[in-house]
Order: sequence, then structure tokens, then C-alpha cells
Amino acid sequence: MYSNKITDHGTPARPSTQQVTLQIDGLAVTVPAGTSVLRAAAEAGIRIPKLCATESLEAFGSCRLCLVEIEGRKGYPASCTTPCEQGMQVRTQTPKLASLRRNTMELYISDHPLDCLTCPANGNCELQDMAGAVGLREVRYGFAGKNHLAEPADASNPYFSYDPSKCIVCSRCVRACDEVQGTFALTVAGRGFQSRIAPGPTDFLHSECVSCGACVKACPTATLMEKTVAAHGQPDRAVVTTCAYCGVGCSFRAEVKGSQVVRMVPHHDGKANHGHSCVKGRFAWGYATHPDRLQKPRIRQRITDPWREVSWEQAIAYAAGELRRIQQQHGRGAVGAITSSRCTNEETYLVQKLVRGAFGNNNVDTCARVCHSPTGYGLRQTLGESAGTQDFDSVAHTDCVIVIGANPTAGHPVFAARLKQRLRQGAHLIVIDPRRIELVRTPHVAADFHLQLRPGTNVAVLDALAHTIVTEGLQREDYVRARCDVAEYEKWLAFIRQPRNSPEALQAVTGVPAELVRGAARLFAGVRNGAIYYGLGVTEHSQGSTTVMAIANLAMLTGNLGRPGVGVNPLRGQNNVQGSCDMGSFPHEFPGYRHVSDPAVRGLFERHWGVRLDHEPGLRLPNMFDAALGGSFKGLYVQGEDVVQSDPDTQHVQQAMESLECLIVQDLFMNETAKYAHVVLPGSSFLEKDGTFTNAERRISRVTRVMPPLAGKADWEVTVALAKALGYPMDYQHPEQIMAEIALLTPTFRGVTYEKLERLGSVQWPCNEEAPDGTPVLHERQFVRGKGRFVVTEYVPTDAHTNASYPLILTTGRILSQYNVGTQTRRTANNVWYAEDLLEIHPADAEPRGVRDGEFVVLKSRKGETTLRAVVTERIQPGVVYTTFHHPESGANVVITENSDWATNCPEYKVTAVEVTKAAAPASSWQQRFGEFGKAQESLRPGSEG
Amino acid sequence: MNRKKLVTMANQIAAFFAAEPDHSVAVAGVAGHLQRYWEPRMRREVYAVLDGGGEHGLSPLVVEALVAHRASLEPARP
Amino acid sequence: MTATVYVPRDSAAVSVGAHAVAAAIAAAAAGRGERVRLVRNGSRGLLWLEPLIEVATASGRIAYGPVQAHDVEGLFAADVLRGGAHPLRLGPTAEIGWLARQQRLSFARTGVVDPLSADDYEAHGGLVALRAALAMAGDALVEQVASSGLRGRGGAGFPAGIKWRTVRQAQADQKYVACNADEGDSGTFSDRMLLEGDPFTLLEGMAIAGLAVGATVGYVYLRSEYPDARAVLRAAIETARARGWLGDSVLGSSRAFDVHLRIGAGAYICGEETAMLESLEGKRGIVRAKPPLPAIAGLWGKPTLVHNVMTLAAVPWIVQHGGAAYAAIGSGRSRGTLPVQLAGNVARGGLVEVPFGTTLRELLVDYGGGTRSGRPIRAVQVGGPLGAYVPSSAFDLPLDYEAFAAAGFLVGHGGVVVFDDTVDLGRMARFAMAFCAAESCGKCTPCRIGSTRGVEVLDKILAGEQREANTALLRDLCDTMTHGSLCAMGGLLPMPVLSALDHFPEDFGKG
Repeated sequence: MYSNKITDHGTPARPSTQQVTLQIDGLAVTVPAGTSVLRAAAEAGIRIPKLCATESLEAFGSCRLCLVEIEGRKGYPASCTTPCEQGMQVRTQTPKLASLRRNTMELYISDHPLDCLTCPANGNCELQDMAGAVGLREVRYGFAGKNHLAEPADASNPYFSYDPSKCIVCSRCVRACDEVQGTFALTVAGRGFQSRIAPGPTDFLHSECVSCGACVKACPTATLMEKTVAAHGQPDRAVVTTCAYCGVGCSFRAEVKGSQVVRMVPHHDGKANHGHSCVKGRFAWGYATHPDRLQKPRIRQRITDPWREVSWEQAIAYAAGELRRIQQQHGRGAVGAITSSRCTNEETYLVQKLVRGAFGNNNVDTCARVCHSPTGYGLRQTLGESAGTQDFDSVAHTDCVIVIGANPTAGHPVFAARLKQRLRQGAHLIVIDPRRIELVRTPHVAADFHLQLRPGTNVAVLDALAHTIVTEGLQREDYVRARCDVAEYEKWLAFIRQPRNSPEALQAVTGVPAELVRGAARLFAGVRNGAIYYGLGVTEHSQGSTTVMAIANLAMLTGNLGRPGVGVNPLRGQNNVQGSCDMGSFPHEFPGYRHVSDPAVRGLFERHWGVRLDHEPGLRLPNMFDAALGGSFKGLYVQGEDVVQSDPDTQHVQQAMESLECLIVQDLFMNETAKYAHVVLPGSSFLEKDGTFTNAERRISRVTRVMPPLAGKADWEVTVALAKALGYPMDYQHPEQIMAEIALLTPTFRGVTYEKLERLGSVQWPCNEEAPDGTPVLHERQFVRGKGRFVVTEYVPTDAHTNASYPLILTTGRILSQYNVGTQTRRTANNVWYAEDLLEIHPADAEPRGVRDGEFVVLKSRKGETTLRAVVTERIQPGVVYTTFHHPESGANVVITENSDWATNCPEYKVTAVEVTKAAAPASSWQQRFGEFGKAQESLRPGSEG
Repeated sequence: MNRKKLVTMANQIAAFFAAEPDHSVAVAGVAGHLQRYWEPRMRREVYAVLDGGGEHGLSPLVVEALVAHRASLEPARP
Repeated sequence: MTATVYVPRDSAAVSVGAHAVAAAIAAAAAGRGERVRLVRNGSRGLLWLEPLIEVATASGRIAYGPVQAHDVEGLFAADVLRGGAHPLRLGPTAEIGWLARQQRLSFARTGVVDPLSADDYEAHGGLVALRAALAMAGDALVEQVASSGLRGRGGAGFPAGIKWRTVRQAQADQKYVACNADEGDSGTFSDRMLLEGDPFTLLEGMAIAGLAVGATVGYVYLRSEYPDARAVLRAAIETARARGWLGDSVLGSSRAFDVHLRIGAGAYICGEETAMLESLEGKRGIVRAKPPLPAIAGLWGKPTLVHNVMTLAAVPWIVQHGGAAYAAIGSGRSRGTLPVQLAGNVARGGLVEVPFGTTLRELLVDYGGGTRSGRPIRAVQVGGPLGAYVPSSAFDLPLDYEAFAAAGFLVGHGGVVVFDDTVDLGRMARFAMAFCAAESCGKCTPCRIGSTRGVEVLDKILAGEQREANTALLRDLCDTMTHGSLCAMGGLLPMPVLSALDHFPEDFGKG
């Protein structure tokens, strides 16, 4: 169901710089050339009836309601498919047009149920609106003729239903699936009067539909209808907010009834998503009111004690007391905190301020440590700024895209849809990935090159690409010499030219045929605009930071930085991972990426915060675990992060947690980490608080409260209370005041205010005196660090080597319907698509092991073992297996080792030497212990007997 | 702190800077990285490894950096 | 001496026994020790005389027909191989009045040549135009076509020269020529006859068009119901490629043009040019909104010259003889000839290529010889299932796009279907609606729902239910379909319905 509460201009805007002026109903209207008459009229406030046209889709011309008369032209052209021309004279209302529209509407209604009063779209139905607009008063055909009223509905999708009896066959759903999402799951079956929308020869659930909701949003009737709207009725208001799932940061209109969310609709004006969404943001928000939500604080002295539910005051006082006790007994550095990339900028800012100001140390880190910390390091070293260089819109201007170590259709689906749109327009694609990800071949998209490298050899492949470009003289020498540090460049040239970096020499290491590497290099170097998009397949390696720098080298070498259509684009995993990094969540940096050792910066914060600040870097996440096991780290405050499930070498993390004297977990749910906690503070979802998120394109967007916090406090209020209890009062009544402090203390945020965010919708930092409306593209005139710096990127093999005992390489990733450790998505109907983690294995590896599709297998590494079900598939290459980490009981991270990136300690999730064998039992010994521990903890919950 | 792991981490850092053709830059690179990113406990521990002598496992470049930059790298006792 | 005998391979002839006749001739000749060269030519178009066989004699080709296999022994006994007398003997083919009176430009070779003999084709004037075209500038070629006054023969009658100019002037890295051979109109067969009888003419016309507009690739979109035409055309394309008429270097010119054959899937709507383009792209055959015109953004979004078989088949003659020569024939703004197809209840049905300006009466009486049933002609439907039912009072109307349009009729693809006085025009109007309901692509609402409602309303009228109100509703529906439909399918459907209602009201119970 669409929304009639927002203006729809009928056809997309045209960007032409040439303007044409025409007369519509005697009114002079000036629009860019190529604009449809329908849109021009809408912009002039003239509403021409329409049904098949909607502004997110190209004109189709099927409903025949938007017919107009044009002076000098015969007939009644459809205004949606007629481009404006200079001097055109258009009439939108004549008796003839009125009759044609009414008669056409009469035909529609002659095959439509007359159940408006009981229809879930009542009051928000375009067909109903248009019947009113054209003045339909009778249906002379009667209702005894042929019709589709008895056709059964398809309710197979958990989130929306398809009721063909209400369908007007406008094809908006089919076109949305094709043009916007690019999945091509829908079609019109049959022809003429028999035409019906069909998700292929099956139902919606079992079709190729990815439940992005674009079809539902496009539907002008109740044919494709959100089940929540059917259940709750029409919303009474809408609040613009930002999705709390991935780093795309889609803008949504939360349509609300009282404090009940009725549905989440992607916001047309959202600059990151332009009205599109994926199954997670669009539909998987039910976790916010799931019965598992924590609603009261609880405390206990030992993790074997039963929980006691207490008041906020008691819980905070207990937590503060324990932290202070530990610091007195074990030293100032014995406590620390983890900020959450799912919380707001304001909240992460407060947590790091709490650590630095109230704990008096720099032991603060965030989950970016385990995902994109190499991005921060690598881009800072080469380009000067720890962030992606472009906005998402940039992809519309690119001629060749390299996707390396990312699976956007699963991880960043809304960006993937944009990318596929561009690829369908003819842009080239190079995929560098061990797996045959969907982008390699998907409807109307095929990669020019798929460099299916062996996991752990990114640097070798990138070096080989650069070697080819340099030795074949394809680099943009003029660009490099003008914009980069020439001495560093020449040093790098001497390195990269060496024959050992040639595709031929590295072929044995990477497994990629040299001619493919050369072909890809020539393609990328030969286009006008080349862009590189990457994900955790780049960063989560022992050479993660080196890979990021090699990517930056390649972009500089080919002159692909500083304008639309190019750039180095990290696809950030979580909604606010960029923001949590910006806000000073790393132990060595204040907000704005300024090192704690810088006395001027430290002085600035000391003056504003009124405390002395430590000049030494603090412990990073894995260092905290090691220090805990070493006995020097005893207290940890974890906000919105499940380290036990998400961090590598699970048993090591569990032992570290067990060794803590005070673990404070603040979360929506009793997650795996909370089972080791002494204090649990209920968290608040993004629907329950105000604040901002910063997405992968540095876009700061508002998060708006649509319902009160379930447990009474928003997360930022909890941190404020904890700070106060620690004797370090923070005086904020609203997150807007926190942002004001961030802006005051952070040069790249100086121009950010809530007022501006509401006025502009969102802004991309840097937003300050030089760029008051923000900065879509970085490094435009020069690099942030001045001259771009080439860095020598020697390929160093990982320690995660295979041998006879562990002959396979495990690499991990995610799928579309689940999000990270699944805390949220597992508490939604998304489980229907992915109820358990599966191990992908190539037939050539499965067969000698006697492993058949669907059977349980033991996955074993040097660190541990777990049991999960196998999927035999050629999507993965021989010698490599793949799984996800969405379900705690799968224990994918039990087998991951403590190997990490040399520069940032980002764990090497993507390469683990393993062996796979047939399973005797469906649970490993670790899984049995995990189950027993879970049961024991369950018996300790408040109110349970135990 | 797990000393074996610290040694591995330090050697990884050295492996990156080893590619730097100017040796003094490489030494300074290793030292600078430890200075900027390693919490004092970790640096103290790695000096303990170094000072313990014997088969400490630290790569020559790490050792060189630790020795050359001891004044700035080694934290004061808390 | 070897005698040459022509037995058509045209499917109209085959449907009445031509293959059996050919086999019988071969057997009879062998039995008599006569040496016979059998040529499987196309049809001359005298369909009521099929199988019409010809024997080459010193005094030209002598026709016999209609010949059945059991006639063959008798023919041989009558010395058929030397043109002997026989009751089936029709005399020299060229002197048969029905044929001699026609002006065959596009069909000059059909029925005469072996359709798959490249040598035959060249011997009968083939490739003269293509060679001439290769020596001409593209603009000059376009001007020849423009000055000929040739208009689209698919039905719309749009001036070909304008289309050629538009495609030629469009800037693109790739252009196409798309030939619409989805001949789906009832009572039409001229495309099929040419494809089965003289396919090289089409290929030559397409190549010339490609050279003129700058297209290097052509597609023929052929309906699946024409398996014989498919086989002939496929073989002709292969031969043309082998001879270097098509390919990377057309006749050694270093200029490329190749043709690919694509087969439809049985949808009438795919004869609509934009639906055909969708189908060629591998999509569902639904109509595209215009603009953009296919000449600007057609196949895969590239400038595409879309023409019917008959339009392209007229091109070699025009280029060979000059646009002015073609323009000298015809009437009003309708220049040249139209291959009319006489079908239905007609005594002498077949292919009649005549200049525009010929009257319906000449076609129906002089050529057609009245109805096959011998009863009076009551109505003819001209221009396919969406054409009007023309009453006998209008039979003096000349074939002319403008004259027909002014009378509310359609020339269309030149199909003429004859009905005698037993026809019920009320049922025919309903059939037209039902045809549209069955064949509507379903994209636009007036056609998708309107055609189905039209059948229902007509049923009510024919059953005498609220006749006046329902007749008014039917007229209102027809108005909505005429002015509201996306393409000519729904837009023209009112033509047979309203012409039946207007000219034969008595069949709607009003008499």
C-alpha cells in the first residue's frame, strides 16, 4: 500500500540543465527538458488523475487516466509519457477528458470488490482517491460480468499479503521490482483480462522475492499490503527517522498510531536510499516490542547468583560502586567500556566521555575494532581522512566498479539496488571475492571479471593490479604528480614494478589467472570514472590495513578520487559504525580522530570537560580481553554489543568475561554477553530515543523518538546517570545539547545542528564554516592530508595456514535476512528465510568427506569446533568453506583464531584453517556446554525458581 | 597479558614496516606505531619480554625499534 | 531433353496437395523415362487454382490447375511436358487475365523463381538495387524512398521516408532494422507468400534499408504459425551469408549488414511494433508507450527502423527504378501498389497486387468474381480483424488511405474478407470484441477490461436486454477505447464494431 499523505509527482525528476516553458491550463510552467507533462503539472500544483504513474518509476502509460489535450496534436496523449516541449499548450480538464477518465475508472471498478469500508487501505487508497477525483457515480456494466473477485490471496510472505482480487494490474509492483530493486522476481502472467501479477510459478515466500517491500510501497491499492497495517489499521501520523540496521542508513517514515508503529516506509526524500529499503529496515522492526525485551535493571554479585530486579537508581549505584571499588583495588586502568555502533552519535560520545572523564583512562573501544578499524587506519595514512570518500549517489556516475570483499546484495541491499541500476545502464563490474557472490551474475547484471582469489591474498591481487597498470603505463601520471607526494609515489613505484608483484608471479599465491588480473586492470584503468567499494572481506584480515592502503594506492594511481563517480568506498556494516568512530570510540583518539597524545587537543577537552585526561592510548577490545585474563582489567561497561557472540575465539572471550569482577551490560535483550554480567541495564531501541546516526557516506541523519523507552530511560540517559553516580555529573536534558557539544569540540562537525539536520534532511561531514551544507565528496581540490601518500604494500601471508589436519580455509559473512549476531533479526519473522547458520562447501570437498547436502558436519579449527548443517554448492571455490555468524548456537566464532590485523587488531575472521567431517551428533561439545550454560542462566532470571 | 601474542603482534607490525626501503624510517615506523596504538601495559610487557633475554621471538626490527626508542616507548611504572 | 515443371511449395498450394502432385509428377516421369526438373516455386497467387503447376515450353510457361495427384497420369498422357492440351490447361501463365491485369512490383518474382536459388534471383533482376544502393550516399537512398511516397504497409501507412530520415539522423553506436513478419490479421497472407516465394527480395530490401539508415543488424520477427516460411527464410539467410550478400562486407563493400530470424510465440499483439520490439528483446510482448519512437529508441533502446515485410519488399523496386517511377503509380497520397489479399467467401481468392486507386468493386467483382457461395456479397472486412465491415454501398471507394479513413474504414495490411448475405453482423461485432479480449496484451485499461466488458454488453444487446441503454453504453465504451487505448489494438477495435452497428443495425435487432 502506498501513502497518499506524501506528494507524488508521477514521474521521476529529470536533471537537464535546459529549461522549457509550457502552458498548462493557461498557467506558464517552466521545467527541465525531458520532464513529463504529468510532473510539470504536479509541480505547478495541478493534479492530473493517475494510477500507474508514481515518481519512483519510469512512466508506463497503462492506466489512461492522465490523458490530456495538447494544442495541435490529435487524440488524447497520456501526460506521463509525454515530455514537455517549449510552447506546448496543455489542457488537463475538458468535458471529453472527464468522460474518458470516468469511463476508464468505471472499467476498473467493474472488476473490483466494493468493500472499501472493510478494506485495510480504506482512507489510503489511490484507486479510491481517483474514483472520487474523476467523479465516478455508477458502473453501468453491473457486477455480474467476468471478474477476479474470487481469486485467493497469497499470505505466504510473513510481512505482506497479495490479494489479486483487488489488483488493478498497473504493474507498479513489477516495475518497482525491476527498476528499483533489480531482482526481477515479479511478472504479469497471462494477457488481456487474464493478466495477473505473479512472483513466478510459485507463491511469494518461495519466489525470488527478497522482501524489500518496493512492490508493496508502490501498490496503489490493498493488493500488496503490509500485514501490520491490516492488523492495526491506518496510521495517524508519520515520523521521519533513520534505520538502525546496516551502514546504508536508510531514511524511513515511521507511520505510527499513538505509540504503536504501524509500518516503516522508506522515505522518498531520504538522501541515502531515495525511497528504497530492504527486508530488515522495512519489515524486521518487530523486535522493538518483542516480549524478550529487558524492561527492568537487574544486578547480582556473582554470575552464578540469581538475578535481582532493582530500580534504576539501585542498579546505577551498584554499578558505579563496583567500578570505583575496582579502580581503587586494581588501578585506574582496570576498567573500560565498549561503545555501540548501534547507538546514536550522542550516546557513543557520552560513553567515551564517561571513560575518559570519569574513569580517567582511555580504555574505550567499539565494535568497529572487529570490522572497519583498518579502514580508519588505512585511509588516514594514505588520504588523510578515516572515512569513505563519496556519497551513494556517486555510483550513478561511475563507469566501472570494483567490488572487493563485499557482498552488497546481502549486506547493503539498498546500495546494491542502486549499484545494479548503474550496472544495468552499462557500467562495468569487477568482483574480487573468494565466493561467487550474487553480483557476479544476477538478472541483467554480469561481472566483466570475477577474480576468485584464495582468502587472505587481497594484497597480492591489488598489488598485481597496480603492477599491471604501472608496467603497462596505464596510470594517470598527471593526476598523481599533481596531487600526491611524489617522493612516496616513486618509492612505491620502485616496489610495485618489481616482477614479483606481477600477476604471473602472484598467480600461485592468489589462485587468480594472470590474464584475468591483467584484463581487470586494463578495464579499470581505462574508464573515465572508476570506483572501488569494499567491505569486511578487505578489513578482517591480518593484512586488513595494508589492503585498505593498497585500495587507496590503486584509486590514486588511476586518478579516481575527488569527484563524483569515483572513490574509495567502505561499505560500513552497522548503522552508526562510522559515527561511533567519529565520536572518539577508539582508545587512542578523541572525537574527530585526534590522538590523545596531542596536548592542544587534550587541553581543549580538558577545559570543556573539566577533568585531567590521560595522554596514553587505552586498551583495544582484544587487548581488554587479554588484560582481563592477565589480571589487570576487572570492570567493563558494554553498551549495545554482544562481544561473546561476535568476537573471535569464543572460548577465549568467555574466559575473559568470567574473569571480570564487574561486567555491566546495557542491551535490548539478555544477549550472550549478558549471561556473564553482574549488572544488566535495559537498552532502548532506535524507536525510543532522539539522536543521530552517521552512515557509510558520512551522512548524519536524525533518529527520532516515536515511542517512549520501554524501560523508562533512553541509553544516553543511562550513561548520564552512571556518570553522575561516579561523581562526574553531565548536564544534558536532550541529545540536541550533546550534539551542540560535539560540534563545539570537533572541527568536522562544527556546523552540525539539529535545526540544520531537520532543514536539510541530513548532512555529510565535514560540515563546518567551509562546507555549511556538508561535503558529499571528499578530497575534491586536494587530499585531506595535503598530498596523497602512496604506501608500500608488501604481501605478507597470513599465519592461518592450512596443513594436512586443517586443509580447508573457512571464511565468514552474512546473508540478507539476518543482521550480524541476529539479536534483532532473530526476534522477527526473518527467521523464515534463515533459521540456522549453514556451512557452504564445494562438491569437490564434500564428496571425499562423504558430506551430503543438508547433513550435519563438524567444523574444526586449531581453536575449537562446532557443528552445523552443510550446503553443497559451487558458489564457493574448492578448498574454501563459508558460514555465517547470525545464530549463537552455531558458534561460528568458536573456530575463529585470535589472529588479527597488524595495525589495528581487527580479527582475521575471513581466514581460518579448518577441517570438515561428518557429524556423529548434531551438537559439538562446545555447543553442549553452551546449551547447559544457557539453561543455567535461564534458571537464574528474576522470578524463576533456582 | 599474553606475551606470546604480544610478540606476534609486534612482529606483524615489523613485517609491514620491513618493506620500507629506508631502514631508519622502518625503525621509526615500528616505534611510532607502538607509541600511538599500544596501551602502556602492552609496551611494558613487551619490554619485559625483551629484557628477559633468551629466545624471546621478537624480530630484529622490533628489537631495534624497542632499543632505539626506549626513552619514549617505555612507560613509567604506574 | 529435360523438361522443367514448377510445382509451388507455397503452403497454400501445399495445403491442397502440392507435395503429392510433385511426387506424382516425379513418379510419372520416371515411369515414362522422361527427364523432369522439378522446381518448387512460390505461388502465383491464384489460390483457387492451386495446386497450379507450370511447364516451361518454347512458348513460355504453360499453367495447369488446379491439379491433384490423380490428375497427373492424365496430364502426362496429354503430353503435359510439352504444353499439351488438357481440361486443366490454363494456357500461358503470363496471359491469364487475372494475373496479367495486376501490376506486380513487389511480387514480380514470387511464383516465377525458385525461392532458394540465388542464381535464379540474380537472373531475375535481384541485387541490382543493392548494388546501386552501395554506390549511393545514405542521404540519397533515403531521398529515393521519400520521393517514392512509399508508406508503411503494416497498416498505419506512415511515410517510410520520414522514418528512414529519423533513424538515419539519430546518433547511436548501434542501429537496427526490424522487419515485422508477424502477419496475424485474418485473411492476410502476402507476407507469407513473399517469404515462401521470394525471400531474397526481403533480405535485399532490409540490406538497403540498413545501408541507408546506418544499421548493421536486422531482425525478422516471424510468427510461429508459418513453419514453411521459417524454413525458407532461414535457408535464404544462410545462402545470402554464404554468397556475401549479408555479413561483415555486403557484396564486398566492407559495409556490414546481417539478418537474424526470430520466431514469435503466438501473440497477435506482437504485430504491434513496440510489442514486437519487447518480444525481440526476450520480454513479454506488451505495448510500449510512445514517445520515444522506435526510430529514436527502439530495440534495446537503440534507433530502429521498423517495417512490415511488404514495405521492405517494395524497396528494391524503388531503388532500382527510382522513387519517381514508384510515385508515378497510385492515387492521392497513396503511391505505388498494394498487394491485396482476397479471402473469405470469394470465388477467385488470392494475391492481387494493384495500384492504389483501384476500387473495392474491381477487386471483388473483376478479380474476386463474387462469392464462392454464389450468393450476393453483403459486406467485406478490409484491413484485418480491426478493420471495418464495409457495406456494398461503399464498394466504389478507391483503395486509398485517406479515402478509406474519411469513410471510417481502414486499408490496413490489405486483407479483404468477403461475406455473403448469410452473415450476421451482430455476431461479427461480438467476434471482434472477443478477438480483442483474447489478444489484448493487457497493459492499458480500456483494452484490457473494455474488450471483455464489450463482449458482455454485446451479448446483452443481442439478447435484447435493455437494448437502447446497452447500445449507448457500447458506443460510449467504443469512444473510450478509441481515444483512451495505448495502441491501435484497442484504438481500432471500435471500427469493426461500430461499422457493423452503423451499417447493419438490423443485425442488432433494430431493423
